[in-house]
Amino acid sequence: MAEVTRKRDKPLQVNPVKLSQPMGATLAFSGVDRCMPLMHGAQGCTSFTKVFFTRHFCEPIAIQTTAVTDALAVLDGGGYSIVESVKNICKKTSPSLIGLHTTGLPETRGDDLRGVASKADFPLVYVNTPDYEGGFESGWALTCKALIEQLVAPAATVNDNKLVLLPHVSLTPIEVERIKELIESFGFNVLALPDLSTSLDGHLGEKQTALSSGGISVEEIKALGNAGLVISVGESMRESAKVLLQKNAGMRHHHFSHLQGLEASDSLVELLLAETGFNGVTPKVERWRQRLQDAMLDSHFSLGQTRILVVGEPDQLAGTCRILHDAGGRVTLAVSSVDSPQLEKIWAKRVLVGDLEDAEAAADEYDLIVGNCHCKALAHRLRKGLVLRGFPNWEEVGNPLKNDLLYEGGAYFLYETANVAEEMRGKTV
Amino acid sequence: MSSKPKIKDLLDESACEYNKTKKQACNAPRPGATTGGCAFEGAQISLFPYADAAHLVHGPITCLGSSWETRATKTTWPGRDLTRMGFTTDVSLNDVIFSGEEKLVKAIDYIMAHYAPTAVFVYSTCVTAMIGDDIDFICRQGAEKHGIPMVPVHAPGFVGSKNLGSRLGGEAALQHLVGTLEPETTTPFDINLIGEYNVTGDMWQYRHLLDKLGIRVLATLSGDGRIKDIRCAHRAKLNVIVCAKSLVSLTRKMHEQYGIPSISLSFYGKRDTSKGLLAIARALGDPGLVARTKKLVAYEEARLEERLKPYRDVFADKKAVLNTGGNKTWSIAAALQDLGLEVVATAVKKATGDDRARAREYLGEKGVLMMNPGVEQARLIDEKGAHLLLAGGRSLYTAIKKGIAFADVNQEKKKSYGGYDGLLNLAEDLKNALENPVFKLVARRAPWQK
Ligand code: SF4
Repeated sequence: MAEVTRKRDKPLQVNPVKLSQPMGATLAFSGVDRCMPLMHGAQGCTSFTKVFFTRHFCEPIAIQTTAVTDALAVLDGGGYSIVESVKNICKKTSPSLIGLHTTGLPETRGDDLRGVASKADFPLVYVNTPDYEGGFESGWALTCKALIEQLVAPAATVNDNKLVLLPHVSLTPIEVERIKELIESFGFNVLALPDLSTSLDGHLGEKQTALSSGGISVEEIKALGNAGLVISVGESMRESAKVLLQKNAGMRHHHFSHLQGLEASDSLVELLLAETGFNGVTPKVERWRQRLQDAMLDSHFSLGQTRILVVGEPDQLAGTCRILHDAGGRVTLAVSSVDSPQLEKIWAKRVLVGDLEDAEAAADEYDLIVGNCHCKALAHRLRKGLVLRGFPNWEEVGNPLKNDLLYEGGAYFLYETANVAEEMRGKTV
Repeated sequence: MSSKPKIKDLLDESACEYNKTKKQACNAPRPGATTGGCAFEGAQISLFPYADAAHLVHGPITCLGSSWETRATKTTWPGRDLTRMGFTTDVSLNDVIFSGEEKLVKAIDYIMAHYAPTAVFVYSTCVTAMIGDDIDFICRQGAEKHGIPMVPVHAPGFVGSKNLGSRLGGEAALQHLVGTLEPETTTPFDINLIGEYNVTGDMWQYRHLLDKLGIRVLATLSGDGRIKDIRCAHRAKLNVIVCAKSLVSLTRKMHEQYGIPSISLSFYGKRDTSKGLLAIARALGDPGLVARTKKLVAYEEARLEERLKPYRDVFADKKAVLNTGGNKTWSIAAALQDLGLEVVATAVKKATGDDRARAREYLGEKGVLMMNPGVEQARLIDEKGAHLLLAGGRSLYTAIKKGIAFADVNQEKKKSYGGYDGLLNLAEDLKNALENPVFKLVARRAPWQK
């Protein structure tokens, strides 16, 4: 398995891939219906985050800031600005939940979030997400955990038909929808937490309101405790599953480090067959499995001669590197935004916790890049092929509908990547 | 001595129209009811287009991770364009506890060894300002060690808005760069362009006209800028503030320190571009130059008219509602009028008193100045029979509901609308919007809803 380099000897990040914890938290809260994410800090973090996601999803993004200012930064313990924020938000909108998450500023100051939150007479979930720790993936995961801890009611009985899906941050809205559909085809009632598949999927609704629309409802979250099964996807989601299991001793949990490629997709189906006692899948699923097999064969020749760099969040790397590997692609380098226990298990020759400058320094090791839109300049300068994946992608529209998962998405992904590889080869010879 | 500017002085800027009447901070942020960026963002915007300098953000990952490569500040700098790169110390918990100074020193050394910039801007951010890292000292030391200017920029997000940050960025440049080098030559027609950031190449839409007139752009703050030039900026004959209120205090100080007068103008639309060129010529006080400028303006206007002809029919009898902020409330309105559109309303909610007055001037008595555009725009579209809504993304749904064309004026723009040539870009975009069937189609009811 991979040779992992974790320790950075560089005193800075040059062209970072890394994104912050508060941003991950914002995105997670966006998967809750009629939620207002409230970022606690000075206003810039919120503004940057809003613009970032608006451009990535091409959707209006609901978010507010506690707008900590100079005077407050010294005097206030967070109380005033948070209470004022809640008041001002409720003047204009009627959210079902306020998602309070911190940035580095109040954390440096040592604000007592729990204390302030306990006094708010409004449905509010709080989570500490300093941006000098962790990253995008952990911010999302911590928020999911906080939603469960603070909202889900403990239960003693289970409903065997009810299933909770805990997706990691890098799964696109359509990918979450596809997982839900597959599980639903086995007769389950699936609830995803958070659920971007109905909130940031690019639907054209009555978007006049300043709140998120779609997503899992607060009522649904509160009632998750009686689900019979929990499925977590991505190493970062293990903690969330753990706290959910504490709400009900009768719940059962299954974990998948990712759902990309033939084997991972098979293992989810195997599990569902075993759980339900079904002896087959729908004809559609069967067809797509055959198509994925075919896609692996059709693309193996091209991918087999391609050396690939994959850039992204750890859980995303796990799946992407695996499916490429399975079709013969040689992932020579994976650049991870942050550290994760998942890194050793990644199907790549070398895994590096680093930035795009590191990727540039290793330019002779790969021909094709799978990564975010910051990789475009890199690909251009180094004359490499590029498949745009991950956050941010400001270069292309349609990000919510990009599907690389399970049988169907896997087939499309392999075709797309093989085609880019061929096109690039055509240019360089 | 710390180079930290006195924020209060900047807020009380006497040269700022807005503050004359209102003794309150510009856009003071309100918890839970705030939009817009922080001072750090503003500072970065004002200094960013120096493509030959490294912009090092001293803070945790949020400040840079979400923002690098967001601004298309184009440059002619032949070396590696450092504005396309993100540099951050990415401070961690350890640095927060034990100080991030050591990391910052090493980061500067690293940048010098690998990228050889002509200057380094070091931006403090909320966390590093809070833990008290001494960026003044580190910059002074770094400048001595490496022999190039290193500019501490004190604009952590919590001091205020983007606008204030731009002022702070300007202050930093004034304090650490302006006047530190002498130009090789000077001319009687040397000017500085202040507050033009060359986003999407705006500056290039009119710079060649200045060249033609023999007006030399000595330095910019900071569109397509060079560190060497801004260091010489004190020898200019005139400061030209382009479409920006945020740098008036900088130009006032340059007037006090170096005796450079300043004028403020806009290069948006035909009339304003012409007026702007003439204003520069007059301010430089040379009758020959004024005469030449008049000739050039007449020539350019005729040439533009010729090229606008195909659009005239499309825009005749078309009415537009404009919902934006700041100087765009009137500058875009003027440009629209230049194209032959009737601007029936413009939003002035986020505009200064000065901007409001100009909006009234351009729209005339009949034009509506919307104080509450969110509510008013839908009604006005009906009442006035508007065909086009120009606004920020969220208003798209208003346009769709009304079945009229929409153009986003707040999005990170991709094309320049500046100068005479930019007006053609605007015309083309608006023509495409008006002719696009999509706005009517997406509002179509589903077969099962009929
Ligand atoms: S508000 Fe502070 S922490 Fe946030 S982006 Fe601005 S400077 Fe950085």
